[in-house]
Amino acid sequence: MPLLDRRTAAEVCDRLRETVDPEGGHIPMFVYADPDVYRLELERLFPRTWQFVAHASEIPNPGSFVVRDMGEESVIVGRGEDGVVRVFLNSCRHRGMKLACEDFGEVTMWRCPYHGFTYASTGEFMGTMIGAPYERAAYPGGLDRDALHLIEARCESYQDLVFATWAPEAPSLHDYLGNVRWYLDLMFGRAEMEVVGVPQKWVVPSGWKLPSENFTADAYHTATAHAFLGRLNLAKGVDFGRDGYHVDPGGGHGLGVGVHFDDESYFPAELRDEYAARLSPEQLALLDRVKNLHGNVFPNLSFLTPNFIEVGGRRVSGIMLRLWQPAGPGRLQVWSWHLVEKNAPDWWKRLGKQMYVQTFGTSGMFDQDDTENWEAQTRNATASLARQGEVMLHYEMGIESEPLTDFPGPGRVYDGKFSEAAGRTYYRVWLDHLLEEGA
Amino acid sequence: MAVDLETRLAIQDLYTAEAEMLDDRRFEDWLELFTEDVAYTAPIRVHRKAPANDVIDDIGHFDDTKRSLTLRVKRLRTDVAWSEDPPSHTRRFVTNLRIVPNGDGELAVRSNLMLFRSRGDLGAYDLIVGERHDQLRSVEGEWRIARRRAILDQASLGTKNLGVFL
Repeated sequence: MPLLDRRTAAEVCDRLRETVDPEGGHIPMFVYADPDVYRLELERLFPRTWQFVAHASEIPNPGSFVVRDMGEESVIVGRGEDGVVRVFLNSCRHRGMKLACEDFGEVTMWRCPYHGFTYASTGEFMGTMIGAPYERAAYPGGLDRDALHLIEARCESYQDLVFATWAPEAPSLHDYLGNVRWYLDLMFGRAEMEVVGVPQKWVVPSGWKLPSENFTADAYHTATAHAFLGRLNLAKGVDFGRDGYHVDPGGGHGLGVGVHFDDESYFPAELRDEYAARLSPEQLALLDRVKNLHGNVFPNLSFLTPNFIEVGGRRVSGIMLRLWQPAGPGRLQVWSWHLVEKNAPDWWKRLGKQMYVQTFGTSGMFDQDDTENWEAQTRNATASLARQGEVMLHYEMGIESEPLTDFPGPGRVYDGKFSEAAGRTYYRVWLDHLLEEGA
Repeated sequence: MAVDLETRLAIQDLYTAEAEMLDDRRFEDWLELFTEDVAYTAPIRVHRKAPANDVIDDIGHFDDTKRSLTLRVKRLRTDVAWSEDPPSHTRRFVTNLRIVPNGDGELAVRSNLMLFRSRGDLGAYDLIVGERHDQLRSVEGEWRIARRRAILDQASLGTKNLGVFL
């Protein structure tokens, strides 16, 4: 059953087809948080795309699990007794009760707290387990064990980033990521990475696309929204992202790479051998010049190496992974992870964590100002003027620019970070998903 | 071991004054309440089945030093601190003081915090609630906060950012 009745869906699609013009650089404001658009997203976008669910280091052992969300669905991401990572709908096949009621843990099996229906860590139904005599009395004809297998999503990983999808016909994760893989290597593949602690979580009254498109293609906001960085002389050579590259890898993904022209890499020399063993010479050469790196995997997984800020004479930064979980048309739950190279020296781990917490996340001096913007945009987008007529917004930055022809990385790469090219592609891919009825 | 009445009153006055400084946005005065070596943290709460620990200190909502708290205050004094300018209306209620001397002249103080925060219109407000575990040290005859660990009572915070101090 569709989530939106067919007539309303057809009307919404007609309106989107007529008004959303990514190639022309025009996006109508209502798409940010319209309730009908949101229902179409739940129906056609989230179940059909690859959703990030965990970093492999969060589930290190057989039996380790975390509870996550795919769209609005609660799922268990678990490493089975056989070491294989699987993703299950967090719902018992008997009455739909949640099987895992805590945020993470280790189990040998799942037992539903309602009627005791029990599942192996690999998803097979094992019995009701309250005692075989009870089960035989209640179900004298026996239970169809295959029919009671947990509902399982497709699960694939890239550089220890674990994704899942409900769509059997979706391309492989490898193909879905496409060109963005080269850049994810720089962020998450350059060394063995681990999540530090647990993710921060909090709720922001914002449509989920606003932060996603911000990380995809918005280097320009930093000069205004985060002006304090220059005002307080926190980082050397603040250019707010002018120097660097804007990357439109295709597929709706997008990123920006800020570069410096110093002689030495900002990353710890102690890790250089590991980087060199895992990256191509071209990737390593770019990493040596990285000053910051932000991006988004379509539709809602953002990543960031924030600006390197000097602490005690050292330049430090802290890796962030960020999920914008939809929680209603104008509401989202933020998940924010901090990762670090497992083999990093202690000073990099300690200062990198402090830098991440102080600049990003719930109390982060950058994040605070962003949430203020997204909330106000959402409020304007859900008022009657934007809902009834078309309030068109400007997405034309860099629309005349031609991509570089000599950049070593894949995708359409533009000189300088000030471009919204990947943002236009983001809305094109988004629109194509929403207009596709099938499946 | 209980502290004497005079000490108890002094500590109570300190927390009342601290709440007033923050609610009145006298942040520079507030910074003076901390020792130079203060560690100011706020761990993350999680939902776990008992008896597992549900307070995670490996990472937090704050991981600050005197230097970084000072930086946060300097930022708030610029004209580009958008998230708190115009400022939230805040009111802090600090109660349930539990004061325990730890033997070397310092005091371990636990207090409950209820922080009311209102921004914008339509009567909206957030409540930020938790318990603070402080370590107090006497510096030149004045009690100073040498350690603060603010344990918030939500696994997913219901406020859009922590642009306010705990």
